[in-house]
Amino acid sequence: MKLAILSESPADEAALQVLVGYVLGRPFTTVQASLRARGWPSVEQVLPPIVRHLHFNTDADGLVVVVDSDDSVVHTSEHEAPGYHHALCRICRLRSVFRRATKNLPPARGRERVLRAVGLCVPAIEAWLLCGHDTSVTEQAWLDGQISGRQPYTRRELKWRVYGTERPSLQHETQRALQEVSRHHGDVRRLENDFPNGFGALARDLRAWQLPGRAG
Amino acid sequence: MIAAVQFRNFKALRSTGVKLAPFNLVLGPNGSGKTSLIQALLRLRALAGLAPANEPPATDGGPRIDFAFTAPYQDIGVSLGCHADELVCNVLSVSRPPGPEGEALWEKLRAKLRTIRAYLFDHYAMAVPAKPADSAELASNGGNLAAVLAVWREKHPDAYAALQAEFLRLMPEFGALEVRAGAGGTVELGTRLKANGHNFITADSLSQGTLYQIALLVLAFTPAPPAVVCIEEADRGMHPRSLREVRDTLYRLSYPQDLGMQRAPVQVITTTHSPYLLDQFREQPQEVILASKQGQAATFERLSDRTDILELMKEAHLGDLWYSGILGGIPGET
Repeated sequence: MKLAILSESPADEAALQVLVGYVLGRPFTTVQASLRARGWPSVEQVLPPIVRHLHFNTDADGLVVVVDSDDSVVHTSEHEAPGYHHALCRICRLRSVFRRATKNLPPARGRERVLRAVGLCVPAIEAWLLCGHDTSVTEQAWLDGQISGRQPYTRRELKWRVYGTERPSLQHETQRALQEVSRHHGDVRRLENDFPNGFGALARDLRAWQLPGRAG
Repeated sequence: MIAAVQFRNFKALRSTGVKLAPFNLVLGPNGSGKTSLIQALLRLRALAGLAPANEPPATDGGPRIDFAFTAPYQDIGVSLGCHADELVCNVLSVSRPPGPEGEALWEKLRAKLRTIRAYLFDHYAMAVPAKPADSAELASNGGNLAAVLAVWREKHPDAYAALQAEFLRLMPEFGALEVRAGAGGTVELGTRLKANGHNFITADSLSQGTLYQIALLVLAFTPAPPAVVCIEEADRGMHPRSLREVRDTLYRLSYPQDLGMQRAPVQVITTTHSPYLLDQFREQPQEVILASKQGQAATFERLSDRTDILELMKEAHLGDLWYSGILGGIPGET
């Protein structure tokens, strides 16, 4: 399987490479080195040309896109209803951009379209990195905080918990990210349990790629 | 170390002040006072080497710059002044606690002020083989880069090795960073590619950004860092994707404890025109200073002083917000 990963930083990308491998359960290769967005809302802007490029110029089977939710609306199971679209949910928006970007593309390189897998780190990837370490950090805790108006933690606090500083170097960030995701040893059930919509959506998308008849 | 600077009639800085953090990124249009801030610090350094004036600067409307300091120097005030018809401040007066203790504290601060350094790198100067020197300190244009590294190799091998290792991590295409004897008794800087390790690539064949990167590493790994480092356009020549590493290199100076180092922090003031570098400070808006120019007068504003900045950053990148003009610090403000 050949895929591309669009992320916000090299540290995120390193962690995602591991997690995507755990979900797929088999080796994959990346067809495009280090696709990068400057964060939201750049992801929305660069996604259509990236999809088009991958479709026509590479033999990528799929594209993985993962963004931070920051303070935006968290994707929930209600958003998964057919035809539902929440205008303030980043997963809904990215799926919509993807649909529009692929809608009129003719088949190329032996496939109909580049598959997509979209994930949302709630509120940031450091929450995923703490999974299993810090039981207070979950998607539900963040959602409850949004409802009550009192968030259980801030992005800054999550950084402290993972890196021990508010200003981690990229090298340190990458090392810590790899250490933390490697703790899962290929088993992402805890991540899917604690982050059912942000990480869960990504995992479901990736597993759907393994449908019969698809290049693998 | 320097807590705040207050300006009156110093070039375009007619009546403004700025609080300084351990790290400071200064943005603004040309002529908005970014370089004047650095020049004020250099003037402070120069005058700190002389005996202070007995009287405070004249209050005749001429240029005046007042400095306040962080602990343990918070009770010391330093003012630079000059006569109204002079362009350069040339009088330094000190307000300090009385007695021998106050005198000792001032002498200690004064020694630190004498170490203030400012850099505007010149890759042409950096590429030229340098005359060997005893000093391990980088010249303001980086022109003695090879000589500094030659000194480090002999006298500070640990720092030299650490710098080499970091350079090779940042630029993995290279397999070595070296200094060697050049023509006419000079020393020259060069690298070797991983793929072709036998060829010594002299500094004049290295890219502008590579040379600037080495110079920044020299500042970050120097065994005896100054109290304050000012860098003009620290991102110059760098790819936008490399700017996070530029930030990390500079943070190494300001926040050594984050890397487990025991040395005193170095206060950093750097200017930029890059929205991409500004993006790197999304989580730390208190480290960003916007310089604005209205008519002939320039002012400073710390980004975190804007009450709506966190709200604004929910919608767009910091760099885009700045470029859009809603933060100020852009050309043509009236």
